[in-house]
Amino acid sequence: MSDFRGQIVPRERGLATVRAQIAALEAGGRADFGVLPFGAAEIDACLPGGGLPLGRWHEIGGAAMEVETAAAPAAFTALMAAPLARRGEVVWVLRRDDLWAPGLAGLGFPVERLIQVCARDEAEALSVMEDALATVGVSAVVGEVETADLTAGRRLQLACEKRRATGFLIRRRPYGGQARREATGSAAATRWRIASAPSEPPAGEFGLGAPRFRAELERCRGGRTGAWLLEAAQAYESSAYDLEMTDVAHPLRLVADLGDRQLAPAQSTQDLRRLAG
Amino acid sequence: MRRLSAVSERAHRLGLHVGQKATDAMALAPDLVTAEAQPEADAAALAALADWCVRFSPAVAIDAPDGLFLDVTGVDHLWSGEAGLLADFRKRLAANGLPFRCAIADTPGAAWALAHYGEDGAIAPPGGQAELLKPLRPAALRFDPATWAQIERLGMRQVGQLMSIPRGPFARRFGRAAMIRLDQALGRETEALTFRRPPSPWFARLAFAEPISAPEDLARVAHDVTAQLCARLDAKGLGARRFEILFHRVDGQAAPVEVGLALPGRDAARIAKLFAPKLEAVDPGFGVEVATITAESVEPISGRQARLDAGREATVEEGLSPLIDRLVNRLGEDRVWRAQPVESHVPELAVGRARPLGKASDARPWERETPRPTRLFRRPEPLEAVMALTPDDPPTQFRWRGQIHRVRRAEGPERIGEEWWKGVIEDVDVSHVRDYYRVEDADGGRFWLFRAGLYGDAATPPKWWLHGVFG
Repeated sequence: MSDFRGQIVPRERGLATVRAQIAALEAGGRADFGVLPFGAAEIDACLPGGGLPLGRWHEIGGAAMEVETAAAPAAFTALMAAPLARRGEVVWVLRRDDLWAPGLAGLGFPVERLIQVCARDEAEALSVMEDALATVGVSAVVGEVETADLTAGRRLQLACEKRRATGFLIRRRPYGGQARREATGSAAATRWRIASAPSEPPAGEFGLGAPRFRAELERCRGGRTGAWLLEAAQAYESSAYDLEMTDVAHPLRLVADLGDRQLAPAQSTQDLRRLAG
Repeated sequence: MRRLSAVSERAHRLGLHVGQKATDAMALAPDLVTAEAQPEADAAALAALADWCVRFSPAVAIDAPDGLFLDVTGVDHLWSGEAGLLADFRKRLAANGLPFRCAIADTPGAAWALAHYGEDGAIAPPGGQAELLKPLRPAALRFDPATWAQIERLGMRQVGQLMSIPRGPFARRFGRAAMIRLDQALGRETEALTFRRPPSPWFARLAFAEPISAPEDLARVAHDVTAQLCARLDAKGLGARRFEILFHRVDGQAAPVEVGLALPGRDAARIAKLFAPKLEAVDPGFGVEVATITAESVEPISGRQARLDAGREATVEEGLSPLIDRLVNRLGEDRVWRAQPVESHVPELAVGRARPLGKASDARPWERETPRPTRLFRRPEPLEAVMALTPDDPPTQFRWRGQIHRVRRAEGPERIGEEWWKGVIEDVDVSHVRDYYRVEDADGGRFWLFRAGLYGDAATPPKWWLHGVFG
C-alpha cells in the first residue's frame, strides 16, 4: 500500500464505522443472520454484508404480462431459494395452484423439500407465511400475494427473525383483477423486479439457451440498487443436482451488468470480472 | 297383565311357555320363582356377547332381542372348516354357562330358521339350505305374526309346502313381505345386516352437573376431555391421528368436531388448540351436558424429546408437523401438499399430491433434462392468429391474451400421445396427440405451446394452445 493512499484509509475506515453504526441502528439491535452471496462481486457489492440477507424478507415483482402469471419471478425466486432448500423445508404459499413442480425440478430446485399451500385469500396467505416462517425446520417461505402493507411487512419481518427463516414475497395480481394501489413503504430488505430475457444458446446449437433473467434491484436496505442479466446456467442438467452437496455454486450466474453506467455486450463478462477484480 | 317373557329349562319341562299369563303359570307351578324382565340389561348383555363374538368373526350383527348373526365367510379355515369353528364356538359359549342354539347356512334367514326351529348345531352345505328348511314350521321364516297366523290357519305346517306354491299366488295371498322373507332364506334375495362396530377403546367422557353453553366453557371442556384421553394414550405409549369430540346436547342432539394430525400425537395442549377455532361452529342449543372424545388411527409413537443434540431429521419433524396440522385443520386437507411424481407422459397427470409428511413415492422422479414450465395452466389457453411456416414447424407468431408474440427461438416438437393402455381401447384415436414446443419471444418470454390434433383431417383442423409459462 503506497503512502498517498495511507491518508485515505482512515477516512474509509471512518466511513465503514459510520456505515456499521447506521446498519446497527436500522437493525434495531437485531442479530445478523448471515447472507447468501451470489458469488458475483458486482451483485454482492450492492448488497449489505456481501450477499442476500437471510432472516429477512424480500419482495419480488414482475413486469408487463408477468404481473398476472408471475412465472419469471417464481423461477427466479426458486433459483434464489434453492441453496436455502438444502438447509430445510421451503413452504410456498399460493393463491392459484398453478406452480408446477417438474418445472422447478428442472431449474435445479429440490422439489422434495417443497411444501405447497393454497390459501383462500390475501390475508390468509400472509398469515400462513407468518406461521411458516416461525417454524423450526423451515428455511425459506415463498408467498404469492398482491401486496403487503407496512403492518403486514413488519409482521413478516418479526416472523423471519424468530427462526432466522428467509421470506420471499412474489407480488402477483389475481387474473383479471384491477391493479390495486401499490404499498408505498415496505419493510422488505430488498425489492427486485424480474423479467425474462432472451436466451443465448451456445454457438452452433439450435433452440433455446439456458434461461436468462433481467433482474433489477430496485431497493436495498443498507445497499445500492443495480440491474443485471443473470443466467440459470445449470438449468435442465441432471449433474448439477445433489441434495447432499452443501458447497455448490449459486445457481444464478452473472452474464452482464445492466446498471446505469454501462451497456456492456453479453460476451464481456470476463472483462467485467477483470474490472471488478 | 303380567306375562312370562322367558322361562328356564325346568320351567319349560313343567309346561310353562313364553307369553303365558303369570297367574296361569303360578297355577301350574305354585313354587314358581319370577323376576322382573329387564329388557335394557338384556340388550346390554347381548351387546357384550356380540363384542365377545368378534373373536370368531369381525362382522357381528345383533338380532334383537336374543340372537346374533356372525358372518363367517372366509374365516372358517382358521378352525379348519365350519364344523371346527362351530365346535369351538359351542365349547366356549358353554364354558360361559349360556344356553344357546346355533346353525350355519348360506343366508342369514336359513341360519336363523335352523337355529330356532331346526336341529341345534346344523350346518347347511353350500346351496343345500332348501332341503333342510322343508320340514321346518312356517314360523321359521321370520314372518310377521299376522302372516304366520294366516299360514297356520290355512293348514300349512311346513316350509316345504310354502315353497311349492307358485310365486304369483303366494305373493298375492300372503303379501310381498312374506315373499321377501322366503327369498331371503333361500338366497334369492339379499339381506342387509347391521354389523356392530366394535367401539373404540380410546374414548373419554366428561359429564356436567349443569348444562354448559358459553364458548369459553366449551373450549375448556374440549381441553379437559382431550387431556383425559391423552393421558391414557401417553401411559400406553400411543398416539392418534384423528380426534373427534361429540358435544351431547340436552335435547339429545350431538354436535361433532373433528381434527386430524399429520403425525400421530397425544399432546393435549396442541390438540386442544386445533379444536379451538372449530368450536365456534358448535351450536350448544339449550346446553351441553356431556362431552365425549374418541381417538382413531391409534398407533404407537415413541416419546420423542425435543433435545438440542437430537438428530436433524427429528427436529425437522417436530417443528413441521404442528405447522402442517394447523394449516390442514384451517385450510382443509386438499390445500396443503407436497408434489410427488406420477409416472405419466400427460403433463397434467405427472404431478400427484402427497401428504406433506408422508413417505416419498417410489415413482421415477421427473426428468430434469427436459424443460418443463414453472407455471402450468390447469386449462390450456387457446392461441389465436398462429402463424407457422409449414405444418410441422413451431409458430412464428401467435396471439395470447390479446397480445402478439413474435417467436425468436423455438424447440420441438415433443409429441405426447394419449395413454391408450389406460382407457377403453375403442376410444383411442391416433389424432389424440399433442405436439409441444418451447418457444421464446422477442422480449425473452418463454412459453410452452402445443398443437392438438394432426393436419390432414379437414373436419377438425389442429388447434394451438398455450399450456404453461417458463418465466
